[in-house]
Amino acid sequence: MNNRVNPDLPRELREFGIRDWNECYHCGTCTAICPLTAQGFLFPRKTIRLMQMGLKDHLSTCVEPWLCYYCGECSEQCPRNANPGELMMSLRRYLTSLYDWTGLSKKFYTSKVWELAFIIIFAILVVLTFIFVLPPLDTTLTPQGGVKVNSFAPFHIIEYFDWAMAIVVAGLLVSNILRMYYRVVWQGTSNKVGLLDHIREFWHLIYNFVVQPKFSKCEDKSYWLYHWLLMSGYTIMFILIVVFLPWFQTEKIHPPWHLQRALGYYATIGLLIGLTAAIIGRLKKQEFKFQFSHVSDWLFLVMLTLTVITGILIHLFRVNGMPWATYVSYIAHMAILVPMILIEVPFSKWSHLAYRPFAVYFARLQKSAMTKTA
Amino acid sequence: MRSMEEARIGVYVCWCGNNIAKMVDVELVTELIGKLPHVVVSKNYKYMCSDPGQELIAEDILEHNLNRVVVAACSPRIHELTFRKVLEKSGLNPYLFEMANIREQDSWVHDNREAATRKAVELVAGAISRVQYHEPLDKRSVGINPATLVIGGGVAGMSAALEVANAGREVYLLEKTEQLGGMVSHFDLTFPYLYDADKMLEVMIRRTINHPHIKVFYNTTISEVHGYIGNFETTIQSDSNQEQTLTFGNIIVATGLRPFDASRVGQYGYGRLPNVITSVEFEDLLRTGQVRTKEGNIPQNIAIIHCVGSRNTEFHEYCSRTCCQVALKFANQLRSLLPDSNIYDLYADMRAFGKGCEELYTATSKKEIIFMMFDQQHELPQIIKSVAPGDPPMLIFFREKISGLGLEIPADMIILMVGMEAHPDVKDIAHAVGISICSNAFFIEKHPKLDPVATTTSGVYIVGNCQGPKGIPDSVAQAKAAAARVLATINQGSVHVEVTTAEVNETLCCGCQTCIMVCPYTAIHYDREKKVSVVNEVLCKGCGTCGSTCPTGAIRSKHFTDQQILSQIDGLMKMALKIE
Repeated sequence: MNNRVNPDLPRELREFGIRDWNECYHCGTCTAICPLTAQGFLFPRKTIRLMQMGLKDHLSTCVEPWLCYYCGECSEQCPRNANPGELMMSLRRYLTSLYDWTGLSKKFYTSKVWELAFIIIFAILVVLTFIFVLPPLDTTLTPQGGVKVNSFAPFHIIEYFDWAMAIVVAGLLVSNILRMYYRVVWQGTSNKVGLLDHIREFWHLIYNFVVQPKFSKCEDKSYWLYHWLLMSGYTIMFILIVVFLPWFQTEKIHPPWHLQRALGYYATIGLLIGLTAAIIGRLKKQEFKFQFSHVSDWLFLVMLTLTVITGILIHLFRVNGMPWATYVSYIAHMAILVPMILIEVPFSKWSHLAYRPFAVYFARLQKSAMTKTA
Repeated sequence: MRSMEEARIGVYVCWCGNNIAKMVDVELVTELIGKLPHVVVSKNYKYMCSDPGQELIAEDILEHNLNRVVVAACSPRIHELTFRKVLEKSGLNPYLFEMANIREQDSWVHDNREAATRKAVELVAGAISRVQYHEPLDKRSVGINPATLVIGGGVAGMSAALEVANAGREVYLLEKTEQLGGMVSHFDLTFPYLYDADKMLEVMIRRTINHPHIKVFYNTTISEVHGYIGNFETTIQSDSNQEQTLTFGNIIVATGLRPFDASRVGQYGYGRLPNVITSVEFEDLLRTGQVRTKEGNIPQNIAIIHCVGSRNTEFHEYCSRTCCQVALKFANQLRSLLPDSNIYDLYADMRAFGKGCEELYTATSKKEIIFMMFDQQHELPQIIKSVAPGDPPMLIFFREKISGLGLEIPADMIILMVGMEAHPDVKDIAHAVGISICSNAFFIEKHPKLDPVATTTSGVYIVGNCQGPKGIPDSVAQAKAAAARVLATINQGSVHVEVTTAEVNETLCCGCQTCIMVCPYTAIHYDREKKVSVVNEVLCKGCGTCGSTCPTGAIRSKHFTDQQILSQIDGLMKMALKIE
């Protein structure tokens, strides 16, 4: 590992949103106040120190930023206003770009032009595809009075498209997680971690993905709930669209208590509650965690909100027998959804859905290696 | 000689809160002592030095018609004067008093209560025995020569000189070099407000030189001072090599400190590596307005290392108190002069104390200075010449304390924040004016808290860095405090001086002149006509050397007569035998 102090790194990290990085004088208040501090994981102080000195190699082996849920307690108590919580947030962006081998993540985080251009290009591609590829429009209604949505966007074609996109996105994400694994577990510990440890600790990955127990340790529990609603809504919707599209995208209008509609409504409401809480928080800026918003934070919120709104519109227009409105909403929905998934999941903010639970898993592997040393 | 009247002694045993009482059974001491002959009153009290304690003695003196007082308490250095004043107020001569030290010499240093109590009884018995032979001594007051000698022409010395001179009193200002200004004349800007040092100093020097009441002597050092408060005298060599005698009533010592010799810290390579420079040299560089390496290049990587020679038992254990702030000032100046450079600050502890200094630290930390911590006592950084192509010329290897990692820093220029240390001639100055130095070779003040600018020698004051490392504001404050003290004595016109000097009994003196040889203050001369030694009470400091050397017993040290000392031993031993 390179042990040379490098002042260029903090300068570079400014693009990822760090501010006041040099004000920290390592009193350790943040570590003491953090409800997540545990033996061996003294954050945020340790990561800040490595960042201040520009020790990139050491920083890339850190899982700590992913273990932080940004309750803002540390920033509130910091005697130097160094904003450790925001530093951790910025480091998550930086680590995301480090794990990504394509280099696109760094481009998206550090250049608004790149990010917006990517979104617009893919949105246009989606629109063009609908215009040129799909069969002629059928504006007649079903006997129930609903729109014949599968004649416009047949689920078997959309399904192929979903799968293709899922495979690309998952492939990118998995390769990045492997790179994260290499840094954190291989480079980050001097001891080898056995296969048995890998198996024994694996359930922590699942448990942390589903329940996010670490988040609930933060003092204000409401954000754990908002976040969980958002996350579960998103996950359910994702599964419905990618795995169960033939069952989900039907022309038949089921009664509202039917599982198809009930799950859809739950996911929509969950997403809306989570999004509203986040947007209000970022607008009000009363809490530390919402005080500084990187472009990527807003872009993510806006795109997801638009996706949800267009999704709701598709549903409303479909069940009320408004074919033109339904088809326009559908195209708009896809034109926002596709670039959002392509950017956010492997390269940007959405990737934390994988990095966070994996970080907990890798941290446990690190710890089991450490206890072996002891 | 025992006084004619019958001795009536009051004895007072102090608890000193729990300081004495926890190790000494004060009740028992009081009881046993009360049985001794001539002891009229024997009492104990929680704090004898308190107002009620003092009143207790005063009342007893009147009520019981006491003519001698013994207090068993702390060291006479602390409260002898307090109790002497009580006697004086009650109409007794203050020298008819004796103190037994049962705290520093008993309760504090023993852990056996029974033995400590016995020792206390013996010490008090000795004091009782001695005090019967005390004689009333008359206070002597001397006139004050209104001139003042200031040694050292730095900021502290000039401040003191100006303050005294502005009150219309004469000042002789001695400066070792050919110009005034001291260490500050090397500085570019001062911390924490980054004021120009030159501008401040220029005004001060101009005022000093042009002041009608200040006479400056350049290239002048001091060798010996005679006399005592109010009446000092010295001979100096002036510029033209002519001797000149000065007389003055007070002395203000402001001799300052010098920078630590950085080459003593081997691993920093000072003297071997051209671009490793001291903070003093860097100040000179800043004064040129251009920061360049020895090769004339603009440095890209600049490291500042704190605590050079300070806070390390191998060099100086003390903190020099100013270097952290100066380092922060450097970082600020460097950031302004070289906005794109990398600035590394290696500190042991950041001690940005004092008005405006924490603010300076906070402001500096917003300027992309990389602060790193090292272990000052056990693992000093190592500076090496880099050989790898493409590397900057020097590398600093060190263990960063917070992360625990062994790191390296590339550097084109390294500034060593050297601490301050005493001048090599500090002992000569101390000897010349009769003051003492501590283990770090700083002059010792009379009381570290309550009398920080006076010394144990009346009329001699210490100000500025010679008393201990400090910044400009503290030095100026001390200088003005000393000036106030000096002016107060001048205004009084006279001061009381110690009367416990030596005196010669001319009938017993055989004229052997042994006393003249041993006197450390050249206070005795030989009267050729009478063929006897004569003590100059002006110069005598009552050390007692002559008295103990005199073969015929002709010299008495007042208040330390043979009879007084022997009776003290006698009283102590008798009590010891009695207790056995």
